[in-house]
Amino acid sequence: MSRDLDRREFLRTTGLALGAVGVGSRVAHAQTPPKGGATLISAQTTEATGLDPQLVPALSRSRRSPLTYNQLVRFDPDMTPQPELAESWQTSADGLTWTFKLRQGVKFHDGQEFTSADVKFTFDRLLEKSASGKSDFIAVDRVEPAGKYAVKFVTKEPFAALIAALGGFWGFIVSEAGVKKYGDLNKNALGTGPFILDDWKVEQQMVFKRNPNYWKKGLPHADELILRVIPDEANIVAALRTGQIHHAFIEDNKNFNLLKDEKSLTGYRSSRLGYDYLNISANRGPLKDVRVRQAISWAVDRSQVMRVATAGFGRLTAPCTAPMKQWQLPEAQWMKYYKPDVERAKKLMAEAGQAGGFSVKCMVIPTFPTMVSGAPVIAQQLKRIGINMEIENVEYAVWIKRWQAHDFDMTMNSTPGYADPDVAFFRALHSTKGQNWNSWSVPTVDALLEEGRRTMDVKKRRDIYDRLQIEILENVPHLWLYSADLIDFTQTSVKGFRQHPTALLYGLEGASIEKV
Amino acid sequence: MALTLLGLSVLIFLMLRLVPGTVVEQLIGADAVVNAAMVAELKRFFGLDQPWWRQYASWLASLAHGDLGTSWRTGKPVTALILERLPVTLELTTLAVGFALLLGLPVGIVSAIRRDRAVDNAARVGALLGLSVPVFWQGTMLILFLSIYLRWMPPVVWVDFWTDPRRNLTIMLLPALCLGTASAANIARTTRACMLDVLGSEYVRTAAAKGLRPRLVVLKHALRNALIPIITVVGLQIGILLGGTVVVEEVFTLPGVGRLVLWSIYQRDYPLTQSTILFVAVMFMTVNLAVDLLYAYLDPRIRY
Repeated sequence: MSRDLDRREFLRTTGLALGAVGVGSRVAHAQTPPKGGATLISAQTTEATGLDPQLVPALSRSRRSPLTYNQLVRFDPDMTPQPELAESWQTSADGLTWTFKLRQGVKFHDGQEFTSADVKFTFDRLLEKSASGKSDFIAVDRVEPAGKYAVKFVTKEPFAALIAALGGFWGFIVSEAGVKKYGDLNKNALGTGPFILDDWKVEQQMVFKRNPNYWKKGLPHADELILRVIPDEANIVAALRTGQIHHAFIEDNKNFNLLKDEKSLTGYRSSRLGYDYLNISANRGPLKDVRVRQAISWAVDRSQVMRVATAGFGRLTAPCTAPMKQWQLPEAQWMKYYKPDVERAKKLMAEAGQAGGFSVKCMVIPTFPTMVSGAPVIAQQLKRIGINMEIENVEYAVWIKRWQAHDFDMTMNSTPGYADPDVAFFRALHSTKGQNWNSWSVPTVDALLEEGRRTMDVKKRRDIYDRLQIEILENVPHLWLYSADLIDFTQTSVKGFRQHPTALLYGLEGASIEKV
Repeated sequence: MALTLLGLSVLIFLMLRLVPGTVVEQLIGADAVVNAAMVAELKRFFGLDQPWWRQYASWLASLAHGDLGTSWRTGKPVTALILERLPVTLELTTLAVGFALLLGLPVGIVSAIRRDRAVDNAARVGALLGLSVPVFWQGTMLILFLSIYLRWMPPVVWVDFWTDPRRNLTIMLLPALCLGTASAANIARTTRACMLDVLGSEYVRTAAAKGLRPRLVVLKHALRNALIPIITVVGLQIGILLGGTVVVEEVFTLPGVGRLVLWSIYQRDYPLTQSTILFVAVMFMTVNLAVDLLYAYLDPRIRY
């Protein structure tokens, strides 16, 4: 072989490689960041499994519902109910009938007028078809129109949580024509909301157009809205940094630190209605004994779990979270349960005959970052009182099967939260009339839950739920671990965006992009 | 081939059903008060109340009619979903193979010619690295570094090639690079080994001895004869790449077949998963067949 050939071959090879790199960088520099315009791009990690606001229980669905639908009542960002499609409402003296006066001149996306018939259709369909949705309206007997622009909700018993349910995840008003046209509303949307669904490529993006007839004059500001799915949050962080997206809801709070100093971004942080908790099955082995559950509660240092799982961007919480302002116990009353006390925990274990400790399994869903980082901390802390907590990584589809079957010792869990304590606690904790995921039975809790549901007087209700929260803290069905802060980022050019404690995308209708 | 497919279809079908959890629980959700009637109705709706062999038979029957079924979660025909996404996966694979050949072949040849010299050693270490670095890590790192230091990342809103070729290629550049890296390394190693074999043979020595230009010796006499094993490797690589797109598409959020399969598995969308995997398997087999036929063309000694 001669040197000559070697060199030529070598040059040819490197030439090719360099050529490839050259092409790459040229293309790269041709890229320009998006300027102000009428298209707002928002990114999230999770795709909606379906869009029907009455059939799909996932938060990924609820988050998107306010874009195309309205409720009768909307909770504003400080969780005060505001008139939305209903202008006003009143309750009958016996507390069994609620009459809502409806807004006139509201049009669905297909041009049809919104009337009391649609409200009736919506809730008839919900009560008939929706497994999860029905649970929110459990005390509602029937819904009947009272003229074209008024509607009556008749309840089986006084039902104080109705307003919260109407402003909740299952309160979105659908159109009868829409359901008739599409069969279900999973792939289409036909509501009265600020945006009209134009195109959906699953696991890619949804494209929404501005609803020109939206009843809130002047809204929405954006002509077009694109919801992009980017499964890896690291890529969402990169996309925010490089100006490719205007808005993102950050799920892993550790990423707040990565973005907070970026000059081109505006960060938003506020308290979440939801919380993370450790669910305990009270019918399994040693967990049956309330003293063991109390020992677990005393052994877990919630602040430490919170610091690891949320990078410190969160807060400890009573069973009612901070945004449920009027219902949350005074801090002194619940904080005292959260002061870790290993000695006390050990004593309780000994009293329960478990001084030697035992093993339990705890489910964790690998796609939930807070569960993944929080569970090992708890396992470590429980080791101090002899409990060997084995972490089971379970894919979501499997988790939900086992959750519904109550087939677990313990599980990490997370909920978007509830505006009203009845919705928050009744279904989860009532031993016979709810779903009772804890497989437990505490008669005083059952009695308080039923009383709270029937009581319309706010002051009396608050007293009931104060007592209930103490009962819960004493009997430990779950450990309320912490409420992670809600974190959103937008480009600084985005104005008018507001966070909502539920993480629902209410805030995009008021968002606009300032021309740069 | 038909028999292989049949066996494969049974395997896909049963494996899917062995994984715990179905679409029914997901539709009900974590927050619902569940009752048996509701579960039964949903099961009936999706035909999950039937014994598995009956479900399998009805899938097979519709396959025989060329019908891949309808996706449970999107309500769209599976064929339409695949066709919508196939161009992306094919483009990605093609670009990756192109990149792998462009890098792997020359490096392999140079490496063989300059055996045990610095270039060869560097190339071999590089190839080993390329083989060892996992695609998902490489992809995430590329995005991270480029976004932090150059403030650049591929456009996040997808554009197909025919609408805006330039933007499309910008999007595809990094994914193709990531996907092709391991293949390039593989091709380089195979090329080097085969070339070393052939370069030591008598006809190459003869060709050089009779005064042919070295370039001609290497490219015509040596490379052509070394090509058969290389083609085999490339063919296999294409198959591997078709599967590897799942990870790359997920990391770079490309709307290809890989992400479709992944999503459908998470959603327990049985018709979508099983038909799409079968479709990919058929593609894989077709590529292998094509490679076999290519042998005959490249080496006149091989006849079928």
